[in-house]
Amino acid sequence: MNVQAEHHDGVLLAKVEGRVDSSNSQDFERQLQAAIGDDVGAVVMDLAQLAYISSAGLRVVLLVAKTLGQRNVSISLCSLSDPVQSVFEISGFNRIIQIYDNQADALAAAGK
Amino acid sequence: MSDRASARAARRANPDYRILVVDDEPDLERLVRQRMRRHIRSGRYGFEFAGNGIEALEKLAQNRDIDIVLSDINMPKMDGLTLLQQIPEVNADIRSVIVSAYGDMENIRTAMNRGAFDFVTKPIDFADLQVTIDRTLKHLDEWRAALASRDKLVALQNELDVATKIQQSILPDKFPHAEGCEVFGCMEAARNVGGDFFDVIRLEEGRLGLAVADVSDKGVPAALFMMSSRTLLKGSAVGVGDPGAVLSEVNDLLNEANDASMFVTVFYGVYDPATKVLTFSNGGHNPPLVVHADGSSEELALTGGIALGAIPEFEFGQASVQLRPGDLVVFFTDGVTEAINIEDEEFGLEAVQALFADGEPRSAREAAEMILQAVRDFAGEAPQFDDLTCMTLRVADE
Repeated sequence: MNVQAEHHDGVLLAKVEGRVDSSNSQDFERQLQAAIGDDVGAVVMDLAQLAYISSAGLRVVLLVAKTLGQRNVSISLCSLSDPVQSVFEISGFNRIIQIYDNQADALAAAGK
Repeated sequence: MSDRASARAARRANPDYRILVVDDEPDLERLVRQRMRRHIRSGRYGFEFAGNGIEALEKLAQNRDIDIVLSDINMPKMDGLTLLQQIPEVNADIRSVIVSAYGDMENIRTAMNRGAFDFVTKPIDFADLQVTIDRTLKHLDEWRAALASRDKLVALQNELDVATKIQQSILPDKFPHAEGCEVFGCMEAARNVGGDFFDVIRLEEGRLGLAVADVSDKGVPAALFMMSSRTLLKGSAVGVGDPGAVLSEVNDLLNEANDASMFVTVFYGVYDPATKVLTFSNGGHNPPLVVHADGSSEELALTGGIALGAIPEFEFGQASVQLRPGDLVVFFTDGVTEAINIEDEEFGLEAVQALFADGEPRSAREAAEMILQAVRDFAGEAPQFDDLTCMTLRVADE
């Protein structure tokens, strides 16, 4: 698992790679928090290279989304593989976090 | 005494490390005190002295704080090699450095075999001695840190055992006999986990409340969250009735104090044996599978829900399915479908469906145990990361 950060006009793009489960969810949370930092206007998580996410990983996404919500920073996800998309649909988290088909749409919406 | 002088005296009285020097040469004490005076004054080293092995053991017994023994080999009463053998009996946490004649490889080898950590040669080069002492102390620090983390690991292991006990204690082990149906549930906990639970709740008019759930994290906090989820669910199931309303209420209660952003996926259904109708609400959980008498199967629809504890004031929907005689409903957690083998392949829902494709009639218990056995066979040597939970509802044949 690895998180890479890029900045696009005030939007933080966090690319997540690999598998996230209970064995590395704490590391995932640390890497994600470090990538986000204190002064971003919006966050987009690109999950194209995320092969698997367990409920422990979902909890980190929820925690980060809640924290950002309190700071009025928007967060969205994009480019989910089919298995990951289905995890978000079954858990119902697609109802509380905006999901885009591709990175361009997500960045355009976040930049507004 | 001035403040500074008394502070120095206090440091000297309580040095960072204590070293016991064992030698029958009376001049050595004066020499060590003189050559090491800077470190003695700064409070890094404190020295004790003994004239032979017997005296050394007496000092070690009196002073439990000694870190290193620096010992000569040839001494009256008890020599250094014999002392080496005795030291672990007094304190296994001490490291020994042997002082030997230059080139005396036989004694050096014997000393190392008897557990000496290092050696220095005579005549003593004090710069070399200091390097050796510091290396020994560094090793000792690392050794003690490793011991401490091992103790922590043992504590953690106990905590996880507690989690597993909490989890096991709340699972039903007797299943109600209702008219025209049977229910069975089983769980295989992964090592060090406390996340899944299932429950069978007796409701009015012979109806049964059936719940299967998976908490988002592991360990004691997850086990406690699971405990309150289960209690709240049971309370609401008896008091509120409708599955959608039950999950809405439990969700609000779980959201009241949930700083850790924990959540629990819950499937909750109410089965009425009189009508064979299962009414259900899905809170972010894997949809159960309905297996028909002919071996075909399909998942129950999602009901627009979300994992409980994620957001407050959410309206959970519900749906109903008319079951037929011979139908089997399989409730499970993702530990079943997401079990992986050594090639990193997932077991998957299709594999569960394939187990029933033969259309063979099976009791609720046979079906649940067959699934867990199939997952175990599939996983083989691959470690089990998640709890495996399977609950089955079997509608009696006509």
